[in-house]
Amino acid sequence: MTKPASPAAHAPERQPTDWKSAAMQKRIRRRYAAERRFRMLGAGAVIVSAAFLAFLLVTMVAQGWRGFTATELALPLDLKAAQLKVTREQLNSPAADLALASGGLEEAVQNAAVTAFGPDGASFLAPSAWVWVRDAVKRDPSLLERRATINVPAATGFDQALTGDGDAAMEAGVARLTRQNAIRRGFNWTFLHESDSTDPVAVGIWGALKGSLMTMAITFLIAFPVGVLSAIYLEEYAPKNRWTDLIEVSINNLAAVPSIIFGLLGLAVFLGTWEIGGRVYGPMLPRSAPIVGGVTLALMIMPVIVIASRNAIKGVPPSIRDAALGIGASPIQVVFHHVLPLALPGILTGTIIGMARALGETAPLLLIGMRAFIVTPPGSFTDPATVLPVQIFLWSDEVSRGFVEKTSAAILVLLAVLLAMNGLAIYLRNKFETRW
Amino acid sequence: MTALSPAPHKMSARGVSVFYGDKQAVKDVSIDVDMDKVTAFIGPSGCGKSTFLRTFNRMNDTIASARVTGEITLDGADIYADDMDVVQLRARVGMVFQKPNPFPKSIFENVAYGPRIHGLAASKSDLEAIVERSLKRAGLWEEVKDRLSDSGTALSGGQQQRLCIARAIAVDPEVILMDEPASALDPIATAKIEELIHELRGRYAIVIVTHNMQQAARVSQRTAFFHLGQLVEYGETDNLFTAPREERTKDYITGRYG
Repeated sequence: MTKPASPAAHAPERQPTDWKSAAMQKRIRRRYAAERRFRMLGAGAVIVSAAFLAFLLVTMVAQGWRGFTATELALPLDLKAAQLKVTREQLNSPAADLALASGGLEEAVQNAAVTAFGPDGASFLAPSAWVWVRDAVKRDPSLLERRATINVPAATGFDQALTGDGDAAMEAGVARLTRQNAIRRGFNWTFLHESDSTDPVAVGIWGALKGSLMTMAITFLIAFPVGVLSAIYLEEYAPKNRWTDLIEVSINNLAAVPSIIFGLLGLAVFLGTWEIGGRVYGPMLPRSAPIVGGVTLALMIMPVIVIASRNAIKGVPPSIRDAALGIGASPIQVVFHHVLPLALPGILTGTIIGMARALGETAPLLLIGMRAFIVTPPGSFTDPATVLPVQIFLWSDEVSRGFVEKTSAAILVLLAVLLAMNGLAIYLRNKFETRW
Repeated sequence: MTALSPAPHKMSARGVSVFYGDKQAVKDVSIDVDMDKVTAFIGPSGCGKSTFLRTFNRMNDTIASARVTGEITLDGADIYADDMDVVQLRARVGMVFQKPNPFPKSIFENVAYGPRIHGLAASKSDLEAIVERSLKRAGLWEEVKDRLSDSGTALSGGQQQRLCIARAIAVDPEVILMDEPASALDPIATAKIEELIHELRGRYAIVIVTHNMQQAARVSQRTAFFHLGQLVEYGETDNLFTAPREERTKDYITGRYG
């Protein structure tokens, strides 16, 4: 033996393993127990998160569904007897609203309510009830010359009394009007096609929804191309050196920056003014508009899109690149014919996650003025607008109790838009993945 | 080195070295490749034969740390010269990879892709003719002619590799580089590939890397033996396997290491 023998040669002879010994049985039992424990922990975690989600949805739906319903009162009107100081010509002119308002329409409506529903009848109507009558008259001027019954919204207090949650006077009114068969309940179309208002009965979500959609369009148009092109450049073209490392670290950090910082950035850059050489420059963009909100949110979600797209591009097998390069495809042909189509599902998923984050964002938009009280939907990208989460924030701050259910209803609308976006993401991902 | 024919060579390498960062993977290799001949590169794993093969169509360009010195010519023109268009070079010097890598597209699109990006087909019927001819040359036409619109990735491994060969010859290359084309295939599929290499020999200069010595002996006319990045011996396949001049070659082909 010139070479040292292996240690096994010197070790004492080992007993054959007894797979049925008590110690072995105990090990097996412990292993099974650990397995069971882990499975139960996992299931428990899933149940807890599902319970939170269910609780959120149930609360929102329970509070919010009434926001989608409207209580209206059938109000008998005799506008001929009210003798409004309005002419036919005025009704057909653009100043019709003003003419009807100054012609005593509001008073006539209140008098009609007193006549129909008793001495406190006017308090059953929403403060903006006469606006419904005004719009009805504008649609059908013959109402000025005849008797008619028009459905007008009930006051918030009346609506509350209907659920058994109002004050005594209102509950008496509810009882009386139920006997008169004057209460109508139905779907609240107003909520879907009107904008903000001081009267909870007259508010609608359309202005905020349209503002959100326009802001998202700007965000997408900027963040998607810039983000995807950056990702392609960084993955496929950029040399790997200290500068690209620095850029990569910066992008990762940018994705973690609190959103309100982007609001400050937007405020300073897009809405700020600079005095250079005695002349004042700026602001670049109008305040409170979808364009400035969209650009600010685009800055915020761009890092998310870059990171997701880079990962998706990295996930494309190198053999596909080799194959294309090997038959003489140029780098740009490799990217557009092979890499991008295969990376698209991942890129789209990342983009939609970013867009969903932008859609739910409030803080940066507060700073750039998108929290204004806006009663008309934005007509263009430079009009003042608000967005869904900001509208929710504003309504949750209101004193009137009618806004509670409107806030929940607005949250339901926001959730529906988010679900629709996620559904789109899943659809697109499946559509493009089947080609692989 | 040795056993070089007097006619002008299709491709020639002179004093080629390849570095990955500080590590030298290929050391001062000179070799000639001719039309109508199959040249096999053999050697143990990590000997640099695949790396050297990839210098012939500049596929090492895609690796950031790789650096190539020396001279490689195609029809006498330096392929690493500034005025050499790498896209055209790769069309003239095609490549088949170790793992079959068809595009996740239809069989037709796989073959048609090369002619399309190089503008080789004048019309749709012309393109169809190119696809048919390429698939026939690759010995795949009879098996796939009824399902050209099926995905290329749905074929078996051996069929996928023949599809990759069809894809390479569709752009009408002059040289075909094959990097262990049969190492991921079963014996029957391997036999088909070897048969195919025989048939293709008359049209192209073929260079094949293999770690299978029997395969090199079966398919090639010339064999180069690499060890630790050096070209140990290069000559006619029959001579190299029956009467190796170098001790290391003899050790390798008799199975001492590898």
